[in-house]
Amino acid sequence: MKPRKRAAINSSATHVFEVLRTVADDTEPAGVSEISRRLGLTGSSVFRALTTLEATGYVSRYRNMPQFELGMMPYLLNRALLNRFELNAAARPFLREMVDETGETVSLSVRLGWYSLRVSGIFGSRDIYHRDRLGELAPLHESLAGRAILAFLPDGAVAQLWRFVENPAPPGDDLAAAMAAAREAKFLTEALPMSPGFAAIAMPVRDGEGAAIAAMTINGPVYPSEKIPALLAIRDRLESLIRAAPKRFVSPFAHIPADQIKLRIDKQTLAI
Amino acid sequence: MLIRMASHRPSTRSGGVDSMKAALESREQNKATARILTVLSSFASSIGEFGISELSQHLGMTKNMVFRAIKTLVEQDYIVRDPSGQRYQLGFRVLELQNMFSPEPTFRTLCAPYIEQIFELTGETVSLMVQAMDFCVFIDGIETRKPGVWRLPIGALRTLHTVASGHLILSSLADAAIDAYIARHVGESTDGAPPLDADALWADIRLIRQRGYATMLRHSALPMLSAAFPIWDAENHLHGVMSVGGPNERFAPVFAASLPRLIAIVESLSQRTRLYSANAPGAELTL
Repeated sequence: MKPRKRAAINSSATHVFEVLRTVADDTEPAGVSEISRRLGLTGSSVFRALTTLEATGYVSRYRNMPQFELGMMPYLLNRALLNRFELNAAARPFLREMVDETGETVSLSVRLGWYSLRVSGIFGSRDIYHRDRLGELAPLHESLAGRAILAFLPDGAVAQLWRFVENPAPPGDDLAAAMAAAREAKFLTEALPMSPGFAAIAMPVRDGEGAAIAAMTINGPVYPSEKIPALLAIRDRLESLIRAAPKRFVSPFAHIPADQIKLRIDKQTLAI
Repeated sequence: MLIRMASHRPSTRSGGVDSMKAALESREQNKATARILTVLSSFASSIGEFGISELSQHLGMTKNMVFRAIKTLVEQDYIVRDPSGQRYQLGFRVLELQNMFSPEPTFRTLCAPYIEQIFELTGETVSLMVQAMDFCVFIDGIETRKPGVWRLPIGALRTLHTVASGHLILSSLADAAIDAYIARHVGESTDGAPPLDADALWADIRLIRQRGYATMLRHSALPMLSAAFPIWDAENHLHGVMSVGGPNERFAPVFAASLPRLIAIVESLSQRTRLYSANAPGAELTL
């Protein structure tokens, strides 16, 4: 293929993915003119991109109007990606045990580079529950699960993370204190404004070398309570499973240096 | 005037050729982009990694086309090389393609296009059923426009031993659970079906387990034939059942001719539903 033609196709593909990401980021379905204004592309380029995306199931028309929302395909791709983490399926019985123990929604987040990624979860049995979305992504220091992972990474991880997020200020004492407290308590807590005096907890899930590869989060008022030792015991059994077959639970992205995994996180995708 | 026309015409012709050329190039680019998206879509399955040859065979594209699409996807991190460097897997950038405000697909929305495909193929009534204790519940479908129709309102319940979908659900259960079901319903006759005959039910379950789908001929005033196909989840549990049926005289020849295609359609649906765990009390966050 001629280089010029190849470049045109690459540029066309780039536009298509830009349009797709714009549709994905929008809180409301958007039309051609809105998308072209935001991306600085011509209306016809955006229209062509949307036509191709619609034909392949990546976007769909919102209620037959000339506005677009994500189609089914991106959701399927995301689900397939989450399933690539062996820990997702293996942790499910343990998550279920924690739900039985507490009645609260329990989820599993894995480490992906310098991010935490929620890959699995089970709803609690209460009428009101926290509807955690799978696929939620946050830099490690910005979510409870992420901080539980960060506290159990080798020394120097916080400094590396800080360089990665290009944060000019050094990590604050609060983060260092939280990390130290977590290592001491073996889990992290986060106050719940809706349940004064109680906190949600996140427990690291470590590999054979003691480095966290994931975290189990119970997003309800479980701390303080006498249930904590039982919950830690369930987590310990999952860790035994990992130590027995370490290769099986290696992240599918472990071969990519953490600094090369860069994701654009819109505020809507930040873990709460 | 003539001069103007003369000067005008060649430029129009030249503009026409240019715009035709541009349109052709644009169409070619759209086709190439569609191929890139189609290649990426192949990774939306429970199969984690692919090689170029596998994708080329699976998609009916030349290896060169697949290679070029993969190259573009790798450049943008939507696809990454696996640890061996020989095969390709989904890339982390796919995570940017989600919207936390939109509902995820449900079992019904996942099945809807496949219900339509089966209806278009057979022209007969298509039903989507799920299990609820000793019953199957009708949750979606398309009713045929031809005469002789099973009318099932959304939420209709049928005891498992009375319909093909129910036999299929029973066949997916553990033997002890089937025996327990039979003990609860033996001799029972509901929905105009003959009483439950344990030996006949077991014989049908063995046949279903062997061939992977269920059929049932109901000897009513208008003999009706139905066929039911399993839809699987991530843990190899039955998500639900897709069934299609109509008057035996009309549907039997259609069914015989379209069986391989029906199996392929439902298997293609299961490729998607296998990404999810079946909906059950206390089950996963979505679906």
